[in-house]
Parts: sequence; C-alpha cells; structure tokens
Amino acid sequence: MAAINRYTDNTAPANPVVSPAKQSLPPAKTADSQSVLKRLQSELMALMMSGDSGISAFPEEDNIFCWKGTITGSKDTVFEGTEYRLTFSFPNDYPFKPPKVKFETGCFHPNVDVYGNICLDILQDKWSSAYDVRTILLSIQSLLGEPNISSPLNTQAAQLWSNQEEYRKMVEKLYKPPTAA
Amino acid sequence: MFLFLHRHFFSLLRIPSQFFPTFTSLTFSTTLSMADYQMLDDVDADDIPHAFLCCVCLDLLHKPIVLSCGHVSCFWCVHKSMNGFRESHCPICRRPYYHFPTICEMLHQLIMKIYPAAYKKRESQILEEERKIGLFSPQFDSLTCGSQADIKVEHLEESANGQLNTITKNDKVVAELILEENSEVVRSTSVESLNSLQDPCAQKPQNQEKISVADVLCRVCTQLLFRPVVLNCGHAFCESCINSQVETLECEVCQFLQPKGFPNVCLELDQFLKEQFPEEYSLRRDSVQLELELAKSIKHDNPTSCSNEEGKKGTDLPRWGEVASKVHCAVGCDSCGMYPIIGDRYKCKDCLEEVGFDLCGDCYNTRSKRPGRFNQQHRPEHKFQLVRPQMFRNMRLGVVTEMLEEGSTTFIIANDEGSDSSDDIGAILEFSSDARESDEDDSDVDGRTQTNDNRTDQNYSQPT
Repeated sequence: MAAINRYTDNTAPANPVVSPAKQSLPPAKTADSQSVLKRLQSELMALMMSGDSGISAFPEEDNIFCWKGTITGSKDTVFEGTEYRLTFSFPNDYPFKPPKVKFETGCFHPNVDVYGNICLDILQDKWSSAYDVRTILLSIQSLLGEPNISSPLNTQAAQLWSNQEEYRKMVEKLYKPPTAA
Repeated sequence: MFLFLHRHFFSLLRIPSQFFPTFTSLTFSTTLSMADYQMLDDVDADDIPHAFLCCVCLDLLHKPIVLSCGHVSCFWCVHKSMNGFRESHCPICRRPYYHFPTICEMLHQLIMKIYPAAYKKRESQILEEERKIGLFSPQFDSLTCGSQADIKVEHLEESANGQLNTITKNDKVVAELILEENSEVVRSTSVESLNSLQDPCAQKPQNQEKISVADVLCRVCTQLLFRPVVLNCGHAFCESCINSQVETLECEVCQFLQPKGFPNVCLELDQFLKEQFPEEYSLRRDSVQLELELAKSIKHDNPTSCSNEEGKKGTDLPRWGEVASKVHCAVGCDSCGMYPIIGDRYKCKDCLEEVGFDLCGDCYNTRSKRPGRFNQQHRPEHKFQLVRPQMFRNMRLGVVTEMLEEGSTTFIIANDEGSDSSDDIGAILEFSSDARESDEDDSDVDGRTQTNDNRTDQNYSQPT
C-alpha cells in the first residue's frame, strides 16, 4: 500500500510565523472537508455543552474553518481579569494537522510574539488528532500562567517574568481589551 | 452549512435559542448542497457511550482498529493519523507504533449489532467518501486471513451447545430508531432497559439484534473476553490467554506474528463488557484470578503472570537515525502493516490499483498470503519486483536533516526520480525541525514505552 492521499506527511506544518493569519475562502467541499465539517460541528456542540469557565469559541459568520475564541486569564495569575481573543484557522485535513492559532488581542507573554503567534508544542510537532479546540484553549490558558521561559518569543516578557509585581503592571499597561465582535 | 447550525443546532442541543441571542443574529449563507442536508441525519453523538466514539472524528467508530496501546479509532482515522516517514503515535497516549493494525472484526460486528441504523449511515457516508478518493477500506468477506468461516461455525456450535452464551438478559442496550418527521433528523438512541419496569416490547425495532456473550468471545478460552487485548491482526483475546512470556507473540487464530511489544488491554471494551455482562464478567474475573494464584504457587520465582512487560522488547525498535536510508516513505506493507516500510520493499507488478500492493522483506520471504489493507485485487500468482529505497532522495533527505539541525524549517524537495515515482509522495515535503529530531527522539522511545502505563489517556503539553 503506497499512500495516495495527502495525509502521509504528518509532520508539523511550517512555522506559524510565516503562515497567513487565516484562510481567505472556505475550502472546496471535498470528501475530506465534509468530514472536517462534521468534526468541527461535533466540537462546537461539545464546547458549548461543556460549560468550561474562561474559554469560549465560535465559528466566524460565513466560514466554519475560521473560529474566534476567547480566553480569560486564570485566577491568581498576572493575567487575572484580562480577556484575550484568538483566531483559529483549520486546515483541510484537520484534525490530522493542527489549526493555526493566533492571539488577536495583544498579549504580553514570553511565548507569544508581537504578531500574536504562539509557541506551543501541541500546535506544532506534538499535535495529536485527538486534540480539539477545547483542549487547545485550555492549554493556552494554562500557558498564560506557566510560560516556558527557556525558549521565549518575547525576551522582554521572559526577563520580567521573575518579577511578578512588575509583570502585572506591564500586563495592565499594555492590555487593550478586545472590542466587541 | 451554517443554515444547518442556525436551524437545527439549537434543536439538537435542546436549548432554547433565546439563550444565545448573539448567535441567532448571525447571518448565514443560504446555499445548501445535498451533502449538507445529509448531515442533518447525523446520529446524536451524546447518545453513544464514550466507548464507541472515535477520539479522532468524534463519531461512532467505523471499522474499528485497536492500537497496541489499547486505544480504539476508526480505520480511516488511524490511517490518516499515521506518519508516512517515521513511526506513528497513538493520538491519545502517544505510544509509538510502526504497524497499521487490521480492523478488529469482532468490535465491528458488535457495534453494528448495537447501533444498526447509525452504523449503516456511517457506512454509507464513508463509502461515498471512499468513492471520491477511489480507495476502499476492506470489505468484511475478504478481511484478514480467511478465518471468518471458522468464526461463524464456532459461534453456531457454541450457541447450539447452549453454554453460557445464550443469556436472555443481555439486551440491555437497545438501539432505538426515532424518526422525527418534522426536522427529518434520524437519531439512534441507546436505551437502558435494565429496569424491567419499562415495557420491553416497545423498545424493539425491527432490525435490532440482541448482543450476547457469543459476540464477545475469546478465541482461545471460548469464554467471555476478560481484559481483552487485540493483536495487530485484529483478533481479540483475554489478556490472560496470551502468553506474554514468549519472545514472539503469535496469533492463535491466524498465526500472524505480533510486531514488537505486548499489546495493552483495550480498557474501553473491557469496561463495556463489565457493564454489559456483569455476572459473566465477575465469574471470569474470579476464575482468572484463581488461575493466576495457582500459577504463582507453582512458580514462586516467576510471579509476572500476565502483567504487561512491554518495555523489555523496546530495545528492538529501530533507531531512525540508522535506518533513514532504508525507509520507503509513505509505503506500507500490506501484510504486516509496517508503515513506512524499512528495508526491502517488494512491489506487486500486477496490481493495477493506484494504492498498489507492497510487501516488506520479511513478509515477502515468508510468502504471506494475506489480502491487501485496502481493496486491492491481489492474487497469489502476481509477480513482485524489488524496489530499492530511492537513494538519491534519501541522500537529500540526509542533507535536509543536517540543515534542520541548524534550525531551518521548510524545504522543498524536487522529486525527479523517473523510474518509480508513480506511487511516490508529492514533490513538496515540509519538515519541521522538531519532527525530524531523529536521534534525540528515538533515544527516549524505550523510556516512553516503559512508562506508558502511567500516562495512558494523558497528553502533556509543553510550551516550546
């Protein structure tokens, strides 16, 4: 059996730094995108029924392959009380490839760069097809409180992290709440 | 598509739409294709127990495959999740595996019996997708190694014997077909008719078959499966019925050699059996424990019995750094399922299907007669040709790996091999530096398999 489909290259996609923010057009309705649609619908229902606090996501108006999500900073972290909007862009072979996830609201965080790109292993090489929007949102939420200082995208934030008081001030200073959708 | 969400989403959720004023005010595209309407007929996933939901497509399992870690997924979900370049990892626990397992036919038949309507619907949807790509999953009269006839005969004999398998109270799970004419939503619901207060006649649709212990028998002890493990060939056995002490594990049914490592118990199925057949299950548990104690008293020195000592074979796993030059990227063995093939590859010259028919060196040498993993019309008289790994490309892959170590990310590899490029992977390959960290990653394969039991069902996320 030689693979004839395009799922064979299951390695991680190119670095999200160079990736476009989102897909401009809904992908063509192929056999694949039908199953992607089904999966995204299941996820949407599960997400809405789960009632997790501090995370939410919903598709954009005309394209189920693009979602908008929000994350609230967890209690007892420097991000408490802040809210961040994210964009999800799902590839045609989702969930076998991870979605592209970016912060739309500026986030002063060691693992988030100024363009909103997130450095998180499960969005890259450690992606698994059993992950979903909910687990991604929860992972990013916990990433806010527990950054990886050793490989920062934002070195300034990484250096400041040790001083939580100053860091909190910086978060408050730079925070611009997302505008209503 | 979004009209579907708009109109039916809230009815499916059974939540009044006024709770979501912002969502209902969204404007949706009004163009709907037939395919969109077909999706209105989806089975409500909430009604299917977790055990029978695929973790990848979040739908009812279709042609289920049990990976060696014991996690279950659909045929296509496993196939699409596999990595054509190196070892694959279970979507749930990340346990590495190298062989595409065969569908577990017992589980397939079981789910089909419990959810006949939902399964049929899945079947037809998937068949439609398969038609579009021109590649079909195995059909069940041709699956595995021609042992189906035996299974059926055995089952018949056993039910005739009237042993513990004709138990009438096994119809706890009844799939109920509800036709909602207004919304045209067909939903299949599992109904627990445990409490006999309910009228049993009202819950028996015409096409519903009862499931009995006969549907879930171990092929060795011919009793109810207790702590089932499913081998790579798709046959299920009790964990205690498989000799974990031998070096090479061989299937008792089809004599197929299990690839490296002892498979884990399929806990989802075990839990289902426990709930479904509580009395038989506890009988089996007691008898297995008794056997274990007997075995222990005989051999004091060796109390391992049926525990999973999978780690001991971990050293046999190939090191990807060493075998990189022998990898046939995106080509799998149709007999043992090794994917990608490492070492010799024999390609059938007479199979016309695009997917082709290939064997690894071992399976070619043992004259394997197993059918293809898809719908190939391979015949024993077909001729094979030895295909060398494409040295030129592998050389360049080596270059890429080196460059990756320096931190670059994406490379375009031109594929100008003339001879055998028909079944080749595409011309553009994307690699990430992390996915190619061959040496580093392989060195902890051993450790990972050993500690696997502790971290089953957990995915760890680490910021990079």
